[in-house]
Order: sequence, then C-alpha cells, then structure tokens
Amino acid sequence: MVLFTLILATLLLLLLLFLIVRPKPVSIPIKNRHVFISGGSSGIGLALAQKAVSEGARVSLLARSLHKLKEAQKSIREVYGVDVAIFSADVRDHSAVERAVAESGPIDVLVVNQGIFVPGALENQASEVIKSVINVNLTGSFNVITAALPSMKNRKDGAPASIALMSSQAGQVGIYGYSAYSATKFGLRGLAEALQQELISDNIHVSVIYPPDTQTPGFEQERKIRPELAGIIMGSGGGALSAEEVAKKSLDGIKSGSFSIWFNLEGYMLGFSGAGFSPQTSFPVAFLEIVFAGLSRLAALFFLWSWYRIIQKKHAN
Amino acid sequence: MLIFIILAPIFLLLLYFIVQPQPVSIPIKGRHVFITGGSSGIGLALAHKAISEGARVSLLARSLSKLEEAKKSLHLAYGVDVGIFAADVRDYDAVKRAIVEAGPIDVLVVNQGIFVPQELEKQDMDEVKLMIDVNLVGSFNVIKAALPLMKGRKDSRPASIALMSSQAGQVGIYGYSAYSASKFGLRGLAEALQQELISDDIHISVIYPPDTETPGLEEERKIRPKMTEMIAGSGSVLKAEEVAKKTLDGIKSGSFSISFRMEGKMLAIATAGASPQRSFLIAFFEVVLAGISRIVTLLFLSNVYRSIRKSHAI
Repeated sequence: MVLFTLILATLLLLLLLFLIVRPKPVSIPIKNRHVFISGGSSGIGLALAQKAVSEGARVSLLARSLHKLKEAQKSIREVYGVDVAIFSADVRDHSAVERAVAESGPIDVLVVNQGIFVPGALENQASEVIKSVINVNLTGSFNVITAALPSMKNRKDGAPASIALMSSQAGQVGIYGYSAYSATKFGLRGLAEALQQELISDNIHVSVIYPPDTQTPGFEQERKIRPELAGIIMGSGGGALSAEEVAKKSLDGIKSGSFSIWFNLEGYMLGFSGAGFSPQTSFPVAFLEIVFAGLSRLAALFFLWSWYRIIQKKHAN
Repeated sequence: MLIFIILAPIFLLLLYFIVQPQPVSIPIKGRHVFITGGSSGIGLALAHKAISEGARVSLLARSLSKLEEAKKSLHLAYGVDVGIFAADVRDYDAVKRAIVEAGPIDVLVVNQGIFVPQELEKQDMDEVKLMIDVNLVGSFNVIKAALPLMKGRKDSRPASIALMSSQAGQVGIYGYSAYSASKFGLRGLAEALQQELISDDIHISVIYPPDTETPGLEEERKIRPKMTEMIAGSGSVLKAEEVAKKTLDGIKSGSFSISFRMEGKMLAIATAGASPQRSFLIAFFEVVLAGISRIVTLLFLSNVYRSIRKSHAI
C-alpha cells in the first residue's frame, strides 16, 4: 500500500514537472558554429577551445596576452590543423572588447570564462586587488556580454544560441579566503537568472558552469598563496579535476542548454540545496532536485558544521 | 505517521548540535552603530530605530546636505546627535578617513545601494558599472576600512557586520541583471567573511528586503521595464520602519539571513543553499520544506516564462 502510494506520487510528480518546467529543454549545436571564448588562452578556456574545435566549431579566443594567444593558436593548429582566431583585449575595456567581438563576427556560443582569483582573508587583501577581481570577473563579464548581445540577437541562422558563464563551486558557497572571488562568482548567477528571462524570447540560452578546483596554470599559482584554512576546508571536497574533464562536461551542458552545470558529488549537493530560483530545463533533474533538496540542505549544514569546527580549532591553537 | 512523530525530536536534537556558528546575542544599547547609505530610506529608518534603542549612531553617505537633514530630523525626534560623514563608498581612502574619525564600530550596517532597472541589452555599461562599484566594491571598501578597528576592539562583546541585500539578491529578475549581480555578490562575500571572522566574535547578517517605501523605490518604479513590474511588482511593499525593525532584531540575534513576511521566509528556505543557519529550529524547517519549496519555485518560474512568452507574442 505504502509502496503503491509512493510509486503513484513519484509518477504524478514526474508528470507535473514534465508539464511545468520552463524554459523548455533545447539542443544547441556546436558544429560549424562560432564559439567565442574569453580567457581562452589557457586553463579551462583553452581546453574548451580544443574540445569545440574537435567538434567542428569555428573558435575565437579573447585574452589579454597576445603572446599566450599565439601559443594557444599554435598548439591548436598542431593538434587539429585548424586555425582559431585570436583577439587581444582586456575585458575591463569595453571598447576593446566591442572591437574584438565585431571583428570576430556574429557569435553563436559565447563562453564568458575569464577570471582571476587571488586568495587571502579580506583583512589581508589590498583594496586594489579586490577591485581588480570584481572588475575582471564580474564587470568584465558584463562587458563581454553586452558587446556580443546585439549581433547574437540579430543572428541570421535560426538555431538556438548560448551564453555560458564560468562560475565556480566558490560561486555556490562562500569560502574562507575567497570573499572577493566568491562575491563575483555568486554575482554571475544573479546576472544569469535575470538575463535568461530577458533573452529567452531570442532563443538565447544561458548556462552557468560551477567547476571545482581544476588543474590549470592559474590554480598552480593560487595554491602557493592559498591560506591554510582555505586549503583544509576546500580539501574536504573532491580532488582537482583536469581541465579536459571540465571542458567536456561544460560543452555537453551548453549543448543541452542546461542552466546549471555541476561537477562531482559536492557540486550536485550544493546545486540541489542551492537550486533556489535557477531554472531547470530537465524534468528528471528537477525531480531529483525536489527529492534530494532536504537531504542536500542537511548535507550542507554538516559541511558548515565541520568547517566551523576546523576554524575554531585552529583558532584555539 | 508515528515514525515521523518519533523521528522529529531526534532530528531536531541532531540539528541543535550541528548548526554552526552557534546562536549569539548582540547588544545594541550604548554601542556604536555605523550605517552607510544612512541619510535616507532604509538606512535612515535603521538610524531611528537604533537611536531609540540607545545606540550611538554614525551615518555615512555622499550628500552632506542630506546628512545634515537626517541629523536634524534625528535630533528633533530623539534629542540625540548622530555623527555624520560625507564620502563616496567607491573612494576607499575617504571611507577609511570617515571610519577612523567615527571611532571603533560595534555594528556596521553596509546599506548603501543603487538600483537602475533595465534590460541588459538596452543598459548603458556606465550604469552597470555604477551599480557594481557602489553596491559591491563599495561594500568591500566599507568592510575593509572598518575591520582592523572591529577586530582590535576593547569591548569583548560580539560585534556585527550587516549587509543590505534584497529579494533581487535571492532571485534574478528580468531587468535587474546588474542589480541582482551586485546583491548576489554580497552573499558570496558574507558566507566567506563569516568563516574569516567567527574567531573574532564578529557576526555577519545578510538582509533581504522586498520592495520598500523609500525615495529610491519611487525613482526606480518610474523607469522599471513593464516585464519587471509584472514579475516583481506583485509582491508586498513594506514600510521602511518595518524593514528597519526586523533588520535590527535579526542583527541582535546574530541571524545570518534576515527575511521579511511569509514570502520572504519562503524565499529564504528556497535559497538556503549553503548559507549558515544558526537557529536549529529554522534549520529544521529548511530541511523539511526544501523539497516543497523547490516545487513552488519551479511553478513560479513556469509562470514567469509563460508571461514572458505571452508578452513577446504580442
């Protein structure tokens, strides 16, 4: 009797979700389309470029250093025999970004991926550094999106387009030593939720990507100066992923028009407990979000309990 | 059924032991409350409330004339003088000077904010930058300027840093991309900062008011895109006094997230995520109602996207 009720309730819930989830699922092709990646000369951005090229996309890279861009271009040419377009600009410079975007031509998949992270407790972080992190990661993302939007909205091909924003697990939960970085990554989500409502009528689909620690040159640098407590707290999650893994999962998520792209168990737990008002286009995933919501919140509370114990223990010493 | 009745107290007990940080009580009377964006709106209402509870209050804002008006009105109402400091929160050095002059702070209310609603494709990047710089960078400036003295305070009682977010900081809404971005950002800042400051007995609160009757709201509603009004205009509009009272109550009880009325509580449960919850009772409701909450938000989103589709078809 109980089992029957449970099965019936499950089926009814699945049916309800199938009927109500909006925006509806969508499939976004990559092959022969223009993928524009900011922060594309290294790390996750470069791995994304390689993946996109291997799937037949036409790729453009934007980054600050012309030298790094040329190296990236060369490495892709060597492996895939394909030329990616490169554009050197600082995302903080709106006009420069506009020029690059105009030169690269109408964009189908915009990957807003540039980001800097400088760990350190707020009291130890220079206000100039905080400003840079916000200007590059958040304001810079607005610059890239507003530069690309007009041509994206006016695109000739009637296929769905995508704007993907590179957030982080630090954009799902604030972490000791990452106040500025977490602030910018949380900010991207607010931007994304609002933007999706504004762009759905243009068949442009927003994705927010939440990778954990990923093996990139940036990560190497960051680990050296990471505060000890941050290391202990973050170390309690999964190990660092390779940039290729992150790139593959990101692209898969973009192609299926997923609003939130999570990684590993921690990411899903944080995703479910923090589902909030982020859209969910897949009704089975919506089902899981609902069923595991309570458990995920409980798990988050446990994580917080263990983190605060660690912090208080360290302070006692 | 019986199983649930037995499990509930056990579950509550479990939560009682795991909620971190632990609950705290933060006195206001006789202590120094420093409010940015304090010359009008919610900030001014907060100043009123804090003074009426015996606090020593300082106000920071850009306009000296508005500050002087505020000072006069507070003096008239309570016979008390507030410290006033004119500075732009985007100017770290000016903020630092003001804070040093104001003296050690017990309760820092980071409340300044600008909101200019507009579809992103139509919005001037200058406005986007303004909102991010004032609402987010400015908040970092204020906190960073106040931290050294707050950490080094002689008074051993718990201190507080309260950040004024918004319901737009819990859910991104059509027309608020920059504003929501800046308000979501405050939460990331707060979650990280609480971990950094718990050992200094400094407690962070993030405040999520709905639309509140302030001069700012009046201006904003005039230029709000139609779609924004359709989606966001249906909620309650609170009086600044109510927001100030609940805010101060939340600060005094060290609540990490402060929400308003039933809809606010539902929003809080839906967006609990990994924010700390210091009340085991509220934690219980967050866990138990999480699933239903998500169903409700999915229904809400379904409605939102249907409205958008309908309005676009016209």
